[in-house]
Amino acid sequence: MAEQQDRMDLVYRVLDDQLVDVEGRRCGRADDLEFEGDLGKPPVLHAILSGSGVWYRRLPLRLRPIGERIFGSGVLGRDEIRIPWEQVDHLDTVIHLKAKARDLGLGKGDDRLSPAIAKLPRS
Amino acid sequence: MKKLLQIALGIVAAVGGFVDIGELVFNTQAGADFRFRLLWAVVVGVIGIVVFAEMTGRVAAIAGRPVFDVVRMRMGFTVGLITLIASLLINLITLAAEVGGVAIVLQLLFDVKLGTMILIAALGLLLIVHFTPFEGIERIFGYLGCALLVYVVAAIHLGPSWHEVGQGLIPNWHPSALYAYFVVGVIGAALVPYEVYFYSSGGIEEGWTEKDLGINRANAVLGFGLGGILSIALIMVSAQVFAPVQVDPGYLGTTALGAQHSFGETGLLLALLGMLFAVGGAAVEVAMSGAYTLAQFAGWEWGKYRGARGAPRFTLTWMIFFALAFVIVETGVDPVILTEYAVIFSVVALPLTYLPVLLIARDPTYMGDRANGIVGNVLGWLYFVIILVVALAAVPLMLITQAGSG
Repeated sequence: MAEQQDRMDLVYRVLDDQLVDVEGRRCGRADDLEFEGDLGKPPVLHAILSGSGVWYRRLPLRLRPIGERIFGSGVLGRDEIRIPWEQVDHLDTVIHLKAKARDLGLGKGDDRLSPAIAKLPRS
Repeated sequence: MKKLLQIALGIVAAVGGFVDIGELVFNTQAGADFRFRLLWAVVVGVIGIVVFAEMTGRVAAIAGRPVFDVVRMRMGFTVGLITLIASLLINLITLAAEVGGVAIVLQLLFDVKLGTMILIAALGLLLIVHFTPFEGIERIFGYLGCALLVYVVAAIHLGPSWHEVGQGLIPNWHPSALYAYFVVGVIGAALVPYEVYFYSSGGIEEGWTEKDLGINRANAVLGFGLGGILSIALIMVSAQVFAPVQVDPGYLGTTALGAQHSFGETGLLLALLGMLFAVGGAAVEVAMSGAYTLAQFAGWEWGKYRGARGAPRFTLTWMIFFALAFVIVETGVDPVILTEYAVIFSVVALPLTYLPVLLIARDPTYMGDRANGIVGNVLGWLYFVIILVVALAAVPLMLITQAGSG
């Protein structure tokens, strides 16, 4: 991949990639990355942010107000889920997580809709 | 032996599934207006879809990435979002056109009110998608769509001037905006993006790996390539049946008359049956493509192989697509007009999906030693230039020619 020994291009390899939980379920995308660090110190990747509430921040400045209205304003736990980097198991063509989507707060849209869809014949 | 049979069945399905309402409309009109002169545009379009589909299938098999995964990753969030919105709108217009097309064919077969047939078409297609596994959907429509081969037989049976056919296959120019509009339309009808969204997602649905690269190549090159012969046959029949009497095939039923001219009622029935399944199959592909694109962009679970319960938002999305398409067609808008808009706007959005696929397909970081070779890269970039030119010309030509009627 894009790694060079212990280095990796995070924008190329992690940002926007598919998240897959421990059961192999697709459960969101790496919509943003959270770093920790102080001025003068190297930033350290701390968490992946996922959910439509993150999307408006990825838009050009002028489009952000309308993006916020459409996709949500990024309320943690609701439309923005924070996945600590320690929860990442490994990376290949997707980002494999160590836990179930439900335990991380991911895939809630599918979980909410699932009982209704399950009522359809042969679903 | 089993593998060979699998490849052969895949090719047959791809042939039968190649033609949709866009090809039926643009190719028949192109033949009626310009006889054999636009045959070369079909060849350009078909080679383009072969190149594009082969790359998307290879990226799906090696990197495990469907088209919209690649779009978002390589084009960035904002351009990816614009591409998503454009693709969803185009898919919706295309689906409305295809559902309208199925309803018209059903009306021609059973002579029942069009409004009723639109409901039956939308509901019937929705039930087929829900109850049939992925492979079944692909095969049922693909095999029965092969009834359109009646046009190939008719094209030869009518005794064309092979000299004129040969000349038509060599790129030629005619100084009129209408001709240029049909060049764009014929190329665009072959290169509609939903086909590759469906194809690459299908590769993942069927669990393609490096071992399946042969199937991918055979399906793309032979399936789409031979499917292109159907498009050529449509132009040839139209050039021999409609052009001499100056009939404008602006109605879908007129296209079916081309086969009747050669083989009477049997020809007409085969043509209508082929149109029913080819257009019906396209409708299914478009609806599912809409759901694939949205789910892949947002990171939702997707795929028929997950079952409706396993991918609820994906399932609801394609169902909503059918419902919206039904509402659009019920307003009374002409499916043929919708088709023209869908094809032209597809062409405009095409570079946005083609470029990221090309960038990944040539990137050894993701593709290893299966990245594009020299031939793949030259063809890939050549087609990117062609697609850009066609995309830039599409809307101005549509306005100048009043969507081909001027």
